[in-house]
Amino acid sequence: MKTTRRTFIKGLGGALTLPFLEAAPLAAAAAAGGTPRRFLVVGNPVGMQPDYFFPKEFGKNAPLSHTLRSMEWMKDRMTVLSHTDHNVANGHGREISFLSGVLPGDAQAFPEKNMSLDQVMARHTAAQVRYPSIGASLDDGIRMSWTANGVENVPFTDPQKLFDHLFLNLTEKEKKMRREVIERNGSILDSVGDQFASLKKSVSGTDSDRLDQFQTSVRDLEKSFSNRLNWIEHDKPKYDISEHFSHPEVTIENRYNAIFDMIGYAFETDLTRVATVAFPLNLSYTDVGGVNRSYHACTHNGKMENVIAELVAIESFQIAQLSRCLKKLDSIKEPNADGTMLDHTMVLFGSGMGYGGTHSNRNLPIMVAGGGFKHLGHVDTSRNGASTPLCNLYVTLLKSFGIDRDEFNTSTGAFDLNHV
Amino acid sequence: MSSNFSTAVTLLLSVLGVGVLRADPAIMKEHCAKCHNEEKTKGKFKLTYLEAAPTGENLDRWLDCLELVKDGEMPPEDESELTESDREKLIAFLKQKLKEFDKRNQRVRTSAPRRLNNREFENSVRDVLMIKDIGTHQPTDNLIGDTLHHGFDTHGDSLGFSKFHLEQYIESARMIVDATILSGKQPESRRYEISGDEIWRKRLNQKIRKRGLPSLDPGVFDFLDPLKSGVFPSFRMAPETGRYKIKIKATGKDRLVYKTENTGQYEGDPIRLSVHLGDRVRTFVLPDEEVMEIEMEEWIAAGSRLEMRNPTDGLRLKGNGGFRFQVSIAARHLKTHDPERYAKRVSEILKSDVKGSRRSNINDGRNWWAYWEGPRPRVFSAVIEGPLYESWPPKRQLALVGENPTVEKAEEILRPIAERAWRRSLRDGELDSVVELVEAKAESLGDLEAIKEGIVRILVSPSFLILNSEDRTASERFASKFSYFLQSTLPEEEIRQAVQSGNLASFEEVRDAVQLLVAGNKVEPFLEVFPYSWLELNDINFMAPDPDRYQFYHRKRLSDDMVNEVRHFFRHVVENNRPVSELISADYSFINADLAEIYQVKGVPQDSKFRKYTFRDGRRGGFLGMGAFLTSTADSLSTSPIHRGVYVMENFMGIHPKPPPADVQIEEPDVRQAKTIKEILKAHTKNATCASCHVNIDPYGYAFENFDPTGAWRKAYVVPVPPERNEDEKAIPEKRWPKSTIPVDPSARFRNGTEYQDITEYRKYIIGGARRDRFVRCFITKLLTYANGVEPGETDFAVIDKILAKSAENDYRIVETISAVIDSPLFREE
Repeated sequence: MKTTRRTFIKGLGGALTLPFLEAAPLAAAAAAGGTPRRFLVVGNPVGMQPDYFFPKEFGKNAPLSHTLRSMEWMKDRMTVLSHTDHNVANGHGREISFLSGVLPGDAQAFPEKNMSLDQVMARHTAAQVRYPSIGASLDDGIRMSWTANGVENVPFTDPQKLFDHLFLNLTEKEKKMRREVIERNGSILDSVGDQFASLKKSVSGTDSDRLDQFQTSVRDLEKSFSNRLNWIEHDKPKYDISEHFSHPEVTIENRYNAIFDMIGYAFETDLTRVATVAFPLNLSYTDVGGVNRSYHACTHNGKMENVIAELVAIESFQIAQLSRCLKKLDSIKEPNADGTMLDHTMVLFGSGMGYGGTHSNRNLPIMVAGGGFKHLGHVDTSRNGASTPLCNLYVTLLKSFGIDRDEFNTSTGAFDLNHV
Repeated sequence: MSSNFSTAVTLLLSVLGVGVLRADPAIMKEHCAKCHNEEKTKGKFKLTYLEAAPTGENLDRWLDCLELVKDGEMPPEDESELTESDREKLIAFLKQKLKEFDKRNQRVRTSAPRRLNNREFENSVRDVLMIKDIGTHQPTDNLIGDTLHHGFDTHGDSLGFSKFHLEQYIESARMIVDATILSGKQPESRRYEISGDEIWRKRLNQKIRKRGLPSLDPGVFDFLDPLKSGVFPSFRMAPETGRYKIKIKATGKDRLVYKTENTGQYEGDPIRLSVHLGDRVRTFVLPDEEVMEIEMEEWIAAGSRLEMRNPTDGLRLKGNGGFRFQVSIAARHLKTHDPERYAKRVSEILKSDVKGSRRSNINDGRNWWAYWEGPRPRVFSAVIEGPLYESWPPKRQLALVGENPTVEKAEEILRPIAERAWRRSLRDGELDSVVELVEAKAESLGDLEAIKEGIVRILVSPSFLILNSEDRTASERFASKFSYFLQSTLPEEEIRQAVQSGNLASFEEVRDAVQLLVAGNKVEPFLEVFPYSWLELNDINFMAPDPDRYQFYHRKRLSDDMVNEVRHFFRHVVENNRPVSELISADYSFINADLAEIYQVKGVPQDSKFRKYTFRDGRRGGFLGMGAFLTSTADSLSTSPIHRGVYVMENFMGIHPKPPPADVQIEEPDVRQAKTIKEILKAHTKNATCASCHVNIDPYGYAFENFDPTGAWRKAYVVPVPPERNEDEKAIPEKRWPKSTIPVDPSARFRNGTEYQDITEYRKYIIGGARRDRFVRCFITKLLTYANGVEPGETDFAVIDKILAKSAENDYRIVETISAVIDSPLFREE
């Protein structure tokens, strides 16, 4: 039973050791000449209160804003971008274009539909890691991660389930059962493939796309089964998150700490190189000091100071969680390279919405950190009064990740993160 | 007059020829060209856009013209005097051109493929396997949620498909089949006896406390905190799939000791106990102070958890809603009714050595648990027996796989299952790959398990999971669509036969069939889901009213009551075949005591039952007076005539205003100021760019300003004004801020000149004259969206016209209107 194994793992204590098996791919990649680059995205669906998020001045030495104060320790390794956006209409429902610049309704016009930035990178590393990407949140996702099929990647919303997924080894019995299930499901898929012939032949446009989706899903699932069969034999790294759940009342801070710790460790053991964490709208943030209302209600503060204070408390909490995670990454040296893990991890914080109070999707709150860039402090990306497409930043991030591309969806160029 | 316009007129004239029609371009020249020409393009429209006739590109312009002229919105009164007869001529002209366009563009419309949504998947699997429900072990919980499109979960573009979906369908189908067809030896039955004091108290979704609070009486289990359930330690979940007999001895305690205003529980409501078997809930009414033995016999799937709860929406009014605060009622009650005992307890508390902590506060609930006399279920004991089977193998699977399922019989066993699942007759050799699979697995899994594998395979096929994926006969297609529309499941054999025999080929036959289904209570899925989707009620708490200012709404869970109000009302209209327009024009609704509190009406029995209530003040009744509409279109602290106006336009009038231009500088609403909404939105009338749209949108919403964010009536806005203070002064909490009162001004003027003073006049206007047709047309469009998985296109206007005409022939009765939709080419697809 799961409970006994969990207790067994707790008993091992919190020792963090790099398991030999997982270290092998890391070494192989290093030998190939490229230090693995990682990508971490942290997002929310309603933007940030701009007066408190954007620093008042521009430049490398701009003092940090109130919301960003917890990142003071790394202020020379981050860049806040003003005046970028995806040029989508204002309002809810469009923030899901955060990591792609494309809304699902317009996806047909793009070769990779509205596949999000994190998934493009995940696809690039898929062969080398156990999990191409990991998504985590509490309560619900924010719909920021989209596959090549134009379907959402739903994140883990339970830290315990995320733990089981990442770190819980299967017993021999479970491995056998899993192999059997994969084989049985595989046989079913084989058999289903024969029925494609009966699907509509003379279809156009939407119809054929929808039927294609089914066929692609069968093929993708077959590939996934075959990958999983391989990985069943390998042990996962050992980890312990029990410290976060030993409090009498487990707060969302404890739970997000556990999530970020697990992702940090997953990076460390090269379980994955792409991760997304979301702070959703319907979660209750009343554990955070000074917060009494719902998140959504705080965004519609009508300029009432006491409500704005609650909103900023929630936003500061998000940044503080990120800061804590980055501190841990910064305390670990990157194997076979100079600098710390933070220097080899690109971090993106932001939202597809500018500010929930006005529902404006202009001037998105975007911050890039780590990744070894020569950061710029606070940058005004506008040119002659016109905003810069956020996808320009994404082209730069893709290139840094080792993906050689000159464009990404609505980009008009590449945004230089090293000089103004 | 520009030359372009003259050319257009000439073109029109030359195409049309002489006669009556020649008059109409002249009408347009006289009444429209003044504002809609090359120089002045008011509303961004000029007559040359119409060209000589409607085409694919300019069709929306022609349609808009027709609507606006019919509605009297154009030409505006103050610009032009169009006589009635000229208006009729112009309307006839426009209609004629559109009719000709439609003739030229006849096409057969077919629905695009889409996957079954989760509800449909559940219902369809249930009906393929011929069981009552898919099992209490929540086998579809793992399915990825359905993305909604304007509230609808049948929208093809929004329902995606991926390898994640596919894998979950396989797992889910397997779980259901495993709980339906049992193999192996018959499991042994056991008997469990539990006494009240053995029952454990469990927080919903969290940990269990094995030892609860000190019992109020020995040997029993009392449900105190409604957020905590009771579980049987020896029967936490069903060990095997099978039938179980459950007997529970229970009573309702102390129903009327405390007052409703403290407990939130109405005098007219009995005490209830709900028994949760996995996700199946059975609720029982408990007699006051008498012991009753509840008896249940249920088929429960292995792994389903068993729990009991007190299903009240009360006991949350005090403090922050936590039960600890409700217990203070006990203290106050005792003080009045038994002062001696109260005094004795108080001295005990004061002597206790928990100083300085909250407990030393006399009225803290934790001091008074043992004195609680609030309404609650009490369980004395329970007996569970099972799993029991009438026969082995169980009867339900005999119907599916027969007496002796062997691999040799695979084809004959699986054929009827596949035909049901794929909603059509099978082609030659189509089952071959399925039978091959069964044969391949028989050795390792055994015959019965291999056949189960075949069933799962049938349920994972695109012919099951995807609607409209294949070439089918017209009757197969229609039977399937008919069933999914009204019953969200695959067609019963009866329906398929009826359609096959040509018995649903005419409007009258469709209407009779629909009426029969309604009378037989067989359209539950439609009655539950359609109004919920149409009114986008999934968003009802997207911006819930502020929990501090509107406590009652949250504490008594008004959103549940409001959704139920919508459903009760819609059901009534359908079951009594009222006219569609009554959905708006009704002077009645269905409310209970909680809603009466919000709507401030008297004479409603003090209980949770929904009853018809007729409003006499002309302010409520129908959808427009319902809390569900009024709260989902409001923010948490304020209301917006724009939101409500746009909602009415899009969901009831079929008008889709364009969103604001991307470069509009949005003003963040500043609720600190003491201004009326009209003052704040003055740019909407003074600034020409804003006004071009808002002069049309805003009048649809101003009438509702008398309704606050919970839908309650208000004569004035009450705005707490933050007081001036210095930096170093302590902040004063919001509830003590001075309040400013500004009277509500719910009047407005539509673009066509109609004025209204308040909601009572607005209600009469919005469903009168041409607007009634507009509403019915919108209803038809929503039905088609739900049925077809896509909104009807502009070129479908002529078909919708015909449906509207058919509805009108039948006094717009709702059953006839629904039947007209089903009978139309847009549904039949031929």
